[in-house]
Amino acid sequence: MDKSSSQRFDPLTRTWWLKHRFFKLYMVREATVLPLVFFILCLLAGFVSLLQGADSWQGWVAFMGSPIVLALNLLALAASLFHAATFFVLFPRVMPLRIAGHRLPDNMIVAGQWAGVLAVALLFFWLLGRA
Amino acid sequence: MSGDKIGTDNLNTKLISVKRYLPDRSTEPYWQSFELPVDDSTSLLDALNHIKEQLDSTLSYRWSCRMAICGSCGVMVNGIPKLGCKTFLRDYDGEIRIEPLAHFPVQRDLVVDMEIFLEHLAAVKPYLIDDNPVKPFDPAAPQTYQQSPAQLARYKQFANCINCGLCYSACPQFGLNPEFRGPAAIALAHRYNLDSRDHGKKQRMAELNRHEGVWSCTFVGFCSKVCPKHVDPAAAVNQGKVEAAKHTLIALFKG
Repeated sequence: MDKSSSQRFDPLTRTWWLKHRFFKLYMVREATVLPLVFFILCLLAGFVSLLQGADSWQGWVAFMGSPIVLALNLLALAASLFHAATFFVLFPRVMPLRIAGHRLPDNMIVAGQWAGVLAVALLFFWLLGRA
Repeated sequence: MSGDKIGTDNLNTKLISVKRYLPDRSTEPYWQSFELPVDDSTSLLDALNHIKEQLDSTLSYRWSCRMAICGSCGVMVNGIPKLGCKTFLRDYDGEIRIEPLAHFPVQRDLVVDMEIFLEHLAAVKPYLIDDNPVKPFDPAAPQTYQQSPAQLARYKQFANCINCGLCYSACPQFGLNPEFRGPAAIALAHRYNLDSRDHGKKQRMAELNRHEGVWSCTFVGFCSKVCPKHVDPAAAVNQGKVEAAKHTLIALFKG
């Protein structure tokens, strides 16, 4: 008898990622892009309104101040920080760094990335604080 | 387990449900429950052996070494791929559901057909390739295959794979597309690419640097979580992406 004729095979369903906690966490990580898309669209709208003149700019500022937009953008910030936290942990596994033949400890690489985030954040606070 | 001492005098009974599939009787799989005596030392493989010897001799499953080195006894335990010999019933409360490894065709009960995994493994040439031209014998030349401990350390972790296939059952990308070379095969390819004695990287790159190679991986990372030998195939695959990107860039400039 042909061996494949009696085999059974369960194809993956669309809901495969609901099977357990680990897959759900993965999908949350991937879904962080959705609020970020909203933030990017807001930013693009801001550039367009800046080109269109003062009235348009004031309208955009008012739009950005509305509670729902603020809430969505706060969600985007939280999502990007969560994504960063998961990504920074993966980084030393993808690119193990070696200095003088010795492998750099993983937690040092993770700490270095957070230090980078802090430095960029401080730079922007300083720039915006001067304006 | 909390602070309780593990002992063989802690007798208990537990319920195990096994997904049966007997193609000569029915084309549909069905669940069968077994109640069996267990103590703290009972592994899932012990339980399956007990079922086969005492309760139902028609049950089919694979096993050999009982010590997590042959890689034969992989099954799904409550939806998570595990080695039967390395899984202890003391760690489970309530019903324990045993299924054959996911993403592979099932031949009978817990026995799956791993042919496609073996094809993926062979495709990445997981052996030392020395394409140096044969030289005339030179007594003064150093021995061919010398390796320092530091050179060994670079790939040692990826050499611990036992080909059990748990990572393929953990990988949704392999589940969606069985043509994906998959975690274990790519990890082993990476292991040989990192080996100082090997010269086969160029040949393997043709296999790795394509959609069904490293680029199908989205770093779900579950393969590394389930790996019984801590090989971390997800790291190997994603280091492979870096290597593949370098390979593409170099090829671009060389024309």
